[in-house]
Amino acid sequence: MINQNELIKYFLLDAEEYLNILAEGLEDLENNGFSQETLEALYRATHTLKGSASIVRFNKIVILAHKLEDLFEALIDKKIDQDVTLLNIIRKFVNLIASLVNEVAQYNEEKTEVDSHLINLVDEIISKKLILQTDEEVQEIPSPALPPISSVRVDLSVIDNILDILGEIIVEKNVINEKEKELKYLVEEILKSGKKLLNETSLFSDKYWLTPLREQSKVQDTFFPDLSDLEFDRYDEYHIFTRKIAEITNDINEGLNELTTFLESLFLNFKNLEKEIVALRNNLLSLRMLPIGKLLNKIAESIKDIASNSGKEINIEIKGSDIKIDKPIFDLLYEPLIHILKNSIDHGIEPPEERLTIGKSEEGNIKIHVKKEGKYIVISITDDGKGINIEKVKEKAINKGLVTQDQIKFMSNEEIFSFIFTPGLSTADEVDFQRGRGMGLNIVKTAINKLNGTIEVFSEMQKQTTFVIKIPQSLSITNFLIFKSAGLEFAVPLNYIIEEILTIDDFPDVKIEKIINHKNRSIPVKIFSELYFSSNGKPLERGYIIIFNFSGIRKALLVDDILGVQEAVIYSLGKFLDDLNQYIGYFLSAQGTPRFVIDPIKIFEEEFLFTLPVSLNLETTSYTGRVLVVDDSISVRKSLQTLLEAKNLKVYTAKDGFEALNILEDKNVDIVITDLEMPIMHGYELINRIRKDIRFKDLPVIVLTSRGTKKHQEKAIELGADSFLIKPFDDKTITELLSNFNILKNQYSKL
Amino acid sequence: MAEELKEERHFCVFGIGEREFLIPKESVIQILDVSKIFPIPGAPDYIVGVVPYKGKILPAIDLAKVYNIERINYLENKLLVLDVDEEKVGILSDITPFFVSFDKDIMVDDLLDPKKLYEELRIKNYPSIKQK
Repeated sequence: MINQNELIKYFLLDAEEYLNILAEGLEDLENNGFSQETLEALYRATHTLKGSASIVRFNKIVILAHKLEDLFEALIDKKIDQDVTLLNIIRKFVNLIASLVNEVAQYNEEKTEVDSHLINLVDEIISKKLILQTDEEVQEIPSPALPPISSVRVDLSVIDNILDILGEIIVEKNVINEKEKELKYLVEEILKSGKKLLNETSLFSDKYWLTPLREQSKVQDTFFPDLSDLEFDRYDEYHIFTRKIAEITNDINEGLNELTTFLESLFLNFKNLEKEIVALRNNLLSLRMLPIGKLLNKIAESIKDIASNSGKEINIEIKGSDIKIDKPIFDLLYEPLIHILKNSIDHGIEPPEERLTIGKSEEGNIKIHVKKEGKYIVISITDDGKGINIEKVKEKAINKGLVTQDQIKFMSNEEIFSFIFTPGLSTADEVDFQRGRGMGLNIVKTAINKLNGTIEVFSEMQKQTTFVIKIPQSLSITNFLIFKSAGLEFAVPLNYIIEEILTIDDFPDVKIEKIINHKNRSIPVKIFSELYFSSNGKPLERGYIIIFNFSGIRKALLVDDILGVQEAVIYSLGKFLDDLNQYIGYFLSAQGTPRFVIDPIKIFEEEFLFTLPVSLNLETTSYTGRVLVVDDSISVRKSLQTLLEAKNLKVYTAKDGFEALNILEDKNVDIVITDLEMPIMHGYELINRIRKDIRFKDLPVIVLTSRGTKKHQEKAIELGADSFLIKPFDDKTITELLSNFNILKNQYSKL
Repeated sequence: MAEELKEERHFCVFGIGEREFLIPKESVIQILDVSKIFPIPGAPDYIVGVVPYKGKILPAIDLAKVYNIERINYLENKLLVLDVDEEKVGILSDITPFFVSFDKDIMVDDLLDPKKLYEELRIKNYPSIKQK
């Protein structure tokens, strides 16, 4: 059971709110006279206050609130006159309740005695035994002492607004993280070049230092013509030049070292900033968070009422009530939870006599257990009633045409149970329908789906039924799995996805059979690229299978590539694309690529057979070709890249053979331009490997070299290079060369 | 002189295939070079894709599909960014758009009213979704 102190805490929160409403309402009645609307507000506040106090068993408050409620009811129904003098009595009640609440806040108990005269007075007024004299008491009663306020009420939209801004900040933060990587890489490159330069110059100057001076090149120092040569070191211009270069190089390296230290501390700052942003977000989110116990206790009370009304006794055990959930989720959870519990009482828990005869305890037991699983909350509701009759579910599902006899044989119990969430399918008897409480589990499922959550049901005949609800703890920022198809990036909310992702290698026939057998389930597979693109694309070589769990039903999606997981805030696609309801929205990657968020339920429920007639062409034809440039010098890579990109070519770059092979593995490339001398894996090795790979045997390879000697050329040709590009290169030679391989049209030859 | 200037109206001229269109200058907020358009699967054919723009995306609209204009290729695309009531779209142009002014009284052919264009595109949206 939930601990009493915690309950009192919730009660005080409620009481503060309702006492405020009472005080405001009272003032309104005083200033503006009686109005039905105000009276109803007062009635509701008193009623809820009573309910709240009854949970924690503060009976004095309950009695006072109860009487006050009666009084308001009589006033609303106009059973008694709406007499202003009544306001004094109401005020007395409110005062008394307020002081009792204050006592509870201080001592955890009610101290003040309730004057029974006051209670009787109300009874008499209501039964009209007492007609108040208008001039009887005009004595001033002080305003009720409200409990001390230690909190500020903030509209949820204010917090939401701040969270939106924070969402933007997080996106920016992701961009900075990406840029940071690029910066690190650049600095490393510069450092490497700096070291090389230092090496070269010191080697050179050392060597030169040792060569004897030529007499005629001696420098005549014009400032000291009187001094003899012997008093000076003997330098010539080269000596001085190399010295200077060495010094400058030293300075540069010095500067670079400082830059590195500076960057290290900058990166540390970034890291701290990131930590703070995360902390800020968590704090902000926790502002909207309420302990789930508050909700569960409310529900438990009303369920006990419902149970006793239908002649059943129940015990409710609540665990994990201090776990907090987002306020919007809190509000939206009430309905579905009540539904499930009502369902347990109506169809699960047996009447006491029946329970006794089958050896169960007289009282039915319902367990509501809440636990946190990462960023999700798992609520399991178990009753020890008669369970769900699986045969009945099967029968109904077949009758409804949801499945065939044959199909159902291969379904797991879990999957069969999940049919009870289908609209109109109920295993309940007609009588139950008459009582107006059909299972309504479809409503539950819809509500949970709205929360980006999932629901599953497990049941054991005559023993128990368990509903397991999994919902995200917060709605504003969601985690997505990012995948790629036809060069475009897509995202799906992570919460529907079962953690394990399979590769196509383990299911070689998946593309033909469109079904996989995994962990004793046969799961239907949709192929994403076929859903969205016409089949003229090249067949998938790699592929991953993502498994979704929709309330116990597993479905799988085959995608080309998986890019990872990202946290993001979704934007709407806007007026012109809103009708595409297979998307929930989009967000941008750190590189600025749109990632379209797929609604996984939609793509499985409906047949989307869209093709991309024009647009896909546009995508691929916007580049006339794809070039891989391999060179260890960043300046060569950059200049070639700029030059080639200007010619509308897609350019990939690699700084050694090893990187180049990785890119070839990943990307479609039409031609490779490679340097020969590189660290880690040199050009000869790269050419050799390219030629040995059957996939790349016809891939044109151009060797980029500053050494125009025959020997190098011959070796490269021997290994399979197709042509040469001698450094330094110009626009014209490159264009001519690439046009030989049909990568570019030769604009020069036309002239 | 100042009076006369006020009487002029300013337009942005852009081209699709062999045709040229005019659109009031006020509704054009920027002209972009399109380096990459991201197609969005399932979109109606006149929305060739989306283009990232200031941290959000713009739908890129090809009026050739709306007005059945023949065109040869897409390579030299510029994108006119229009803003009508805070809703932004990109309109593809085959020529680099330029601005012109006319006397107020001169009637111009092929003048697009951005609001009407928006309406037209919205309506066009529905049947194409339903068909599929």
